[in-house]
Amino acid sequence: MSGLKHPYVTSPTRWTVFLRTFLPWQLWRFVRINLKMIGIIRRSH
Amino acid sequence: MSRVVVLGAGVSGHTAAAFARKWLGRSDTVTVVSPKDYYNWIPSNIWVGVGLMRPEQVTFPLKPVYQRHGIEFVHGAARAIHPEGSSDDPTPHVIVTPTGGASGATVKVPYDYLINATGPRLRFDRTPGLGPEGHSHSVCTEDHAAGAARALAESVERMKRGERQQFVVGVGHGTCTCEGAAFEYIVNLEFELRSRGVRDKADILWLTNEYELGDFGMGGMHFEVGGYVTPSSVFNASLFAERGIEWVTRAHVRQVDPGLIHYETLDGAVREQRADFAMLLPPFSGVGLKAFDRNGGDITASLFQPNEFMKVDADYRPKPYEDWRAGDWPRTYQSPVYRNLFAVGIAFAPPHAISRPFTSPSGAAIAPAPPRTGMPSAMIGKAVARSVVDMIRGAEAPTRTASMAEMGAACVASAGANPLTGTAASMTVFPIVPDFDRYAPYGRDLKRTFGEIGLAGHWIKIILHHLFLYKARLRPGWSLIPE
Repeated sequence: MSGLKHPYVTSPTRWTVFLRTFLPWQLWRFVRINLKMIGIIRRSH
Repeated sequence: MSRVVVLGAGVSGHTAAAFARKWLGRSDTVTVVSPKDYYNWIPSNIWVGVGLMRPEQVTFPLKPVYQRHGIEFVHGAARAIHPEGSSDDPTPHVIVTPTGGASGATVKVPYDYLINATGPRLRFDRTPGLGPEGHSHSVCTEDHAAGAARALAESVERMKRGERQQFVVGVGHGTCTCEGAAFEYIVNLEFELRSRGVRDKADILWLTNEYELGDFGMGGMHFEVGGYVTPSSVFNASLFAERGIEWVTRAHVRQVDPGLIHYETLDGAVREQRADFAMLLPPFSGVGLKAFDRNGGDITASLFQPNEFMKVDADYRPKPYEDWRAGDWPRTYQSPVYRNLFAVGIAFAPPHAISRPFTSPSGAAIAPAPPRTGMPSAMIGKAVARSVVDMIRGAEAPTRTASMAEMGAACVASAGANPLTGTAASMTVFPIVPDFDRYAPYGRDLKRTFGEIGLAGHWIKIILHHLFLYKARLRPGWSLIPE
């Protein structure tokens, strides 16, 4: 029997969870996400 | 000299008024009519609702801002539009009930161009017992959010004394919209309970009218991840499972009693859910503006849909879901009846929902209404302001378009507020209303539609909070900040 409460739901790996608050990676993502958003904003205006 | 009148001072109305003022000459006037004399940056209400911000941090008085920029302000609620004037005065005008005025007192506000940005009426009355005056909380206004924060603090105290608490967050009716705001609230709530050391005493349930998690009233989204095109439901369920949040989808709340929520689901089941704390958003309608012709005849039905939102240049012919098209959505937001009348933000009537509609065996409609807030709302307000200014200068027709089926949106949904351990889901979607002809089969440009969760999103959310409040205060350089 599975020990998971929701065995059919996708779960993040420990590495993925770690990266969510890992400062160097998040600084890079901050830049990347902003660039993506600026692209959407420019295309939508 | 032309008179531009804007009804409402929310995101779309305030944006429209500010840009109209900026672009018009000083001989023209811009007047804002609003029952509230302060601005509320609503996206940050969720932080007020978990006790992280005070109402004063998400609001500011409008009068000084408008005085500084030469915008006239009428503190009152618009009641009726007379687009042809009246028998004794041919000038188009709006009848306004002044806030704090004598009972029955009204003032007449004349206009050459009218922008209806009245936003929603919060229809707590559609579900017995729903709302702050009933047995649940809301974050729709800063006051509601402050009430939710007080109740949350009481629940936390109970948990510290060893009691278990059942939290239910979501929507309080089958036809609600703004699931995204409720989503932000539930993940912030969960984060806060962890931060306050009482998470082990809390059971948290997401109660929604969405057919699948991650619908958000937009029919869901698809992201390219790891070699797969994956629906947003996968990510939403994953986050909930990770945070220990249970969920009930396809639900219509029928009644809220003290500590008990009665709801039905699409499969016909009728259930009860215990709730020590419930934050359930209400359904929306228009604010109930009336309209009259020059002879005093009631023409409300020709200007407004039955849901009280204003008809604009959309295709309102009833169609089955399979025949819905991106082209049904409005582009100029001009009334088809009066060329000098526009509706922006939540005030315009969408042609139909975005999410597929469903009805329960009892006949209850259970499907999210389409969101029309935030970035698209402001962009529509700006586009209409430009059209109005150009028409004042001689253009025959609106010069700008802002179809939600042709524009994208960037959204940051907070999932926990802390500068080092917080997270937020950052998303972009293009276009907002899926265009299945242009972007088959998912309806959206997958290169411009993405989402990820992380601390960077929280930083962006904090920056946006300050940036958009700065912009709304019309501080130097405000117009350079994009909507």
